[in-house]
Amino acid sequence: MAELPLIGEGAPRIDGRLKVTGDARYAADFSVPNPAYAQLVTSTIARGRIVSLDASEAGKVPGVLKVYTHENAPKIEGVPFFGKGGQAYQGFRPLQGVEIKHEGQIIALVVAETLEAAREAAFRVKATYEPQTPAATFGDGGTETEVAAEISKQHTDPKTGDADAALKDAAHVVEAEYETATNHHNAMELYSTTAHWTGDHLTIYEPSQWVYGLRAGVAGELGIPQDKVRVLSPFTGGAFGSKGTVTARSALTAAAARALNRPVKLLVTRAQGYTTASYRAETKHRIRLGADGDGTFVGFVHEGFELTSRPDTFLVSGTESTVRMYGFKNVRTKVSAVRADRNTPGFMRSPAEVPYMFALESAVDELAWKIGMDPIELRLKNDTKTDPITGKPFTTRQVRACFERAKELFGWDRRVAKVGAMRADGELVGYGAALACYPTQLAPAAVRLTLEGKGRARVQIAAHDIGTGTYTVLAQAAAGLLGVALDRVEVELGDTNLPAGPISGGSVATASSVSAIMKAAEAIRLRLATAATTSNDGPLAGKDKESVVLKDGRLVAEDGTGEDLTDAFKRLGVGTVEEYAEWLPDGVDEKAMRGLYNGSVKIVGGPMQDRTQFSFGAELVEVRVNPRTLSIRVPRMVGVFASGRIMNRMTAGSQVLGGMVWGVGSALHEQTEIDRRYARYVNDNIAEYLVPVNADIVHQEIEFLEEDDGEVNLAGVKGLGELGNVGTNAAVANAVYHATGFRARKIPIRIEDVLKSHLV
Amino acid sequence: MRHTLRFLLGHDLVELGEVDPTQTVLEWLRRDAHRWGTKEGCAEGDCGACSVVVVRPEGGRLRADAVNSCIQFVGTLDGAQLLTVEDLKGPDGRLHRVQQAMVDHHGSQCGFCTPGFVMALYAMDRRGEAVTYETAVDEIAGNLCRCTGYGPIVEAALAMRGTEGAGEHLSGREAEVMARLEALDDGQDLMVGKDGRTFHAPASLDALAMLYAGNPGAALVAGSTDVGLWVTKQDRPLDPVIWLGRVKELRRIEERTDAVVIGAGVSYTDAMAKLGEMYPEGGELIRRLASVQIRNTGTIGGNVANGSPIGDSPPFLIAADARVVLRYRGERREVAVEDFFISYGEQDRRPGELVEAIVLPRPKPTEHLACYKISKRFDQDISAVCGGFRVRVEKGVVKDARLAFGGMAGTPKRAKAAEAALVGRPWSEDAARDAAAAMEGDFRPLTDQRASAAYRMKVAQNLLVKFWYETHGEGGQIRLVGPRRVVHG
Repeated sequence: MAELPLIGEGAPRIDGRLKVTGDARYAADFSVPNPAYAQLVTSTIARGRIVSLDASEAGKVPGVLKVYTHENAPKIEGVPFFGKGGQAYQGFRPLQGVEIKHEGQIIALVVAETLEAAREAAFRVKATYEPQTPAATFGDGGTETEVAAEISKQHTDPKTGDADAALKDAAHVVEAEYETATNHHNAMELYSTTAHWTGDHLTIYEPSQWVYGLRAGVAGELGIPQDKVRVLSPFTGGAFGSKGTVTARSALTAAAARALNRPVKLLVTRAQGYTTASYRAETKHRIRLGADGDGTFVGFVHEGFELTSRPDTFLVSGTESTVRMYGFKNVRTKVSAVRADRNTPGFMRSPAEVPYMFALESAVDELAWKIGMDPIELRLKNDTKTDPITGKPFTTRQVRACFERAKELFGWDRRVAKVGAMRADGELVGYGAALACYPTQLAPAAVRLTLEGKGRARVQIAAHDIGTGTYTVLAQAAAGLLGVALDRVEVELGDTNLPAGPISGGSVATASSVSAIMKAAEAIRLRLATAATTSNDGPLAGKDKESVVLKDGRLVAEDGTGEDLTDAFKRLGVGTVEEYAEWLPDGVDEKAMRGLYNGSVKIVGGPMQDRTQFSFGAELVEVRVNPRTLSIRVPRMVGVFASGRIMNRMTAGSQVLGGMVWGVGSALHEQTEIDRRYARYVNDNIAEYLVPVNADIVHQEIEFLEEDDGEVNLAGVKGLGELGNVGTNAAVANAVYHATGFRARKIPIRIEDVLKSHLV
Repeated sequence: MRHTLRFLLGHDLVELGEVDPTQTVLEWLRRDAHRWGTKEGCAEGDCGACSVVVVRPEGGRLRADAVNSCIQFVGTLDGAQLLTVEDLKGPDGRLHRVQQAMVDHHGSQCGFCTPGFVMALYAMDRRGEAVTYETAVDEIAGNLCRCTGYGPIVEAALAMRGTEGAGEHLSGREAEVMARLEALDDGQDLMVGKDGRTFHAPASLDALAMLYAGNPGAALVAGSTDVGLWVTKQDRPLDPVIWLGRVKELRRIEERTDAVVIGAGVSYTDAMAKLGEMYPEGGELIRRLASVQIRNTGTIGGNVANGSPIGDSPPFLIAADARVVLRYRGERREVAVEDFFISYGEQDRRPGELVEAIVLPRPKPTEHLACYKISKRFDQDISAVCGGFRVRVEKGVVKDARLAFGGMAGTPKRAKAAEAALVGRPWSEDAARDAAAAMEGDFRPLTDQRASAAYRMKVAQNLLVKFWYETHGEGGQIRLVGPRRVVHG
């Protein structure tokens, strides 16, 4: 099969114009005839029962059409939780009974002629409860801790050698506990659902990372065939993992629309989004990391504790990544789930790696200080070419090259290896480093690719552009493979009327979709080449069909002879060639394609049978700490990444730049605060949930290393969406230690915690 | 009395007879005008995705302000031109230079925040002022991007002036717009409504005072940056709504020899310029308290009237010994700002009485005044503690001290014990430290998610010491004053 020609390496995104003019249609932007407007009402207790729900005042508000409560709500079948192979964000369905499982649970859905009336009616719904004392988070009475390996079939604790014995004899040991905070995605686009029935056919407009999953989930919950449902999400206004699973609102809105016999639009408020969809749960880690006298790691123990809800076991199990970062000889791990009265957590950008790598990369830094070694040196000393757990080789692993280039760009040599020893402009200066990683994962994908004799091409796949640049990179792939100009390629995404694409999660989308496009493009090439080489006349007659490629609007042989596309099409006797292709990654059987269409996810990658595949990166950060106020700023960051073939330096650059900003948010800003008395999120808005703003970030420099990894897939593409924000939090915390001597084992780092250190 | 709301959407006249008093501009745009380009990201003026530009005649020119359409009620458009992202590209489809610069510099990722950034930058471009890194980041400080592509967006801002693009279709019609908007300004009181709920926009102060006295339960709205959230966050029905925006008397800044009188309808943006001249510290405080979009509509009058314990302007106003002018029907009275706040949620304002103006005394040469806003995030964040200090020092001795804080009690409040510890003593570090210690007797602050009680107390005490340092020029410049400086680099 032909290689993927690299074109449009630095092309601006093809949907840029639509986005700056407001013409890009997001889910809530679609017009439906005569819509009614819905508003959610959510619970103010976290645990207990509804005693009564009085909707009489709400019903009197002019324009109110219906108030749904547990007493009259449409019956929802309930599809399985995503973690159990289904599509649902959580296993528990609200509005089907009086039970309250978490604060902010949906207790009513108001539908009215206008949003204003729906809001007022929502305000007038009066609930009384029989509350029970909730457990909010780690350490609260009533939480239940369970060992992941005992309760989850998917979970195994990676292990090798005898870590505890090795640590006994280690010359240097770091033993520490680390904590990461609750985080919410806070994509700019709010959650919304618009449901429109025509006869028994339902169209749903909803921002999504997985339209086929949403289709399957809603159809399952309403008890109707999947082919009666169409889901549209051509543009998604940021997702970061929050829009991949099916939340309760979708089927409820659709059921209301069916009952009222008119389209219903629901916009979930920012605050309601905190409790009716997913988030990144808080984690705790117990790390023991030991090295011998020269810094060689001898033992590693990583125990993780993850918060989850009562009904669902959601685990990110990041030990699967941490154990593969260095040449550990002896490893023991254990993950535990801690149940509390909270909504179910879910995937958030680099779900496993952000919390787990914070713990590992902080511990490595601590160990470096203990040994008296440069922390980058220590990392490179323990670099490995094989997966320490499976013994299989990494397909590519440019950890050393990433760090060496990053050191150069950063000027790491200026580092003074002493705490508090560097100052500039009257401020304390600290340098910090961390390793970034993300498993290279893939998923089945199907695509329809069309080439016209006139040189226009079309890509149709139910993949998604969640800001990742999918429209652009898929157009680039098609343009390169079919030999047409980038602006002659049209891409259609985010619609279940299209061939099934992969979920936009786990950084699988580009590599998987491009692989499918390569397969379809090869079929198109072969049809044209076969016709041209087997014909009796024409410049390509008699040539080897395998040597003929599509290039610059022509069909050409290796020696340069060829013909225009229009002639090649004439020979075929058609104006358009269309190919549908299904692509399956290694180690995935045929059934997965049916599964893809039916809303079942199959993602493979990271450790495989014969190999282990990851992307890596090195992140170096400078912090400045005001010696009086101890306020922490990040004036400078360098990131060097090795992540296979880079399809487009602009879109790829945006991904990792944004990722690193997320990392700063994770280290210094972002925390969903919980009122433990009520198990309630307090700062459920973007005024008080602090996401980094433009003034928080000053200078970022990034580079991608050349990397040719033909083993991961034909295109040599690895994922990028989740690599950039891994390790950044540890790099910041490590830099803060260098500047101040304060070891932040808990993020986000708060000034009051630094103050307690009394070190500066 | 007029019963039709009138404004220009782009260059089209819109006349609405039926208007829900709390329908937001954003809702109207998306639902009724079918303009989907403007996005909802938070419905509370935090994210800027809903930014639109509102154009009004002022002093013989058109003034164009970026505002958050998610918390502006549609009635507040009366007499204005509303421009949205759909208006920017030329009739020939050519992108406006702001849009073109965003495309060229890769300023969009998911694109959801893009229309808001484009409109914020358009307002800046249109004002014609210099675009530097500092002014650009301040201009877009109220626009969040969660894909966090800030670098490319700032690059686009810096490049927009040098980018080719459409614009004549807007700039070439300004004279026409001016004439049309002036014609809409009929001086008549406006009342519109829907389903029995009403929105009033009286055209004079007298009419406003009478209307409010007759409807003391009405929601008074100036910039809607607080009241808007009662609706969008708390689902509260408001009826009737009375908007102050057409009352020209309230939008005045009156210069007296001993004081400046700031009308209750004067926006932060306008107050900031005047305050910055008199009290650079106060000007900088206003820059930090909110984004450009919020400053363009929010008012000091509203900040005082709503009496939030963490409002940012009261500590400054109390320190400066400002007074509130209250108006009930034809009667006026003045109270000191510090006396206006009685307890949490309760102010010295009787039913039907409105805040008409703030009287801000001019600074005296023997006075030092400073404001300090302590928040987790430097810009655009709610204060944990906000301090406003003024000391009068004559011959080295403190003659008078006014130390006011927000975030330390249920209302903005003076630290009387600390003040007493200062007055009569030489203005020395010892005195400042003693006064800081005495502050323990002034406050019992709360612990909440913004700060612990201990942190609040500690920071409040330290601010006083910091204030002393600053008045002695020791330790150099340890914070921002005046125009924005990049503190991060």
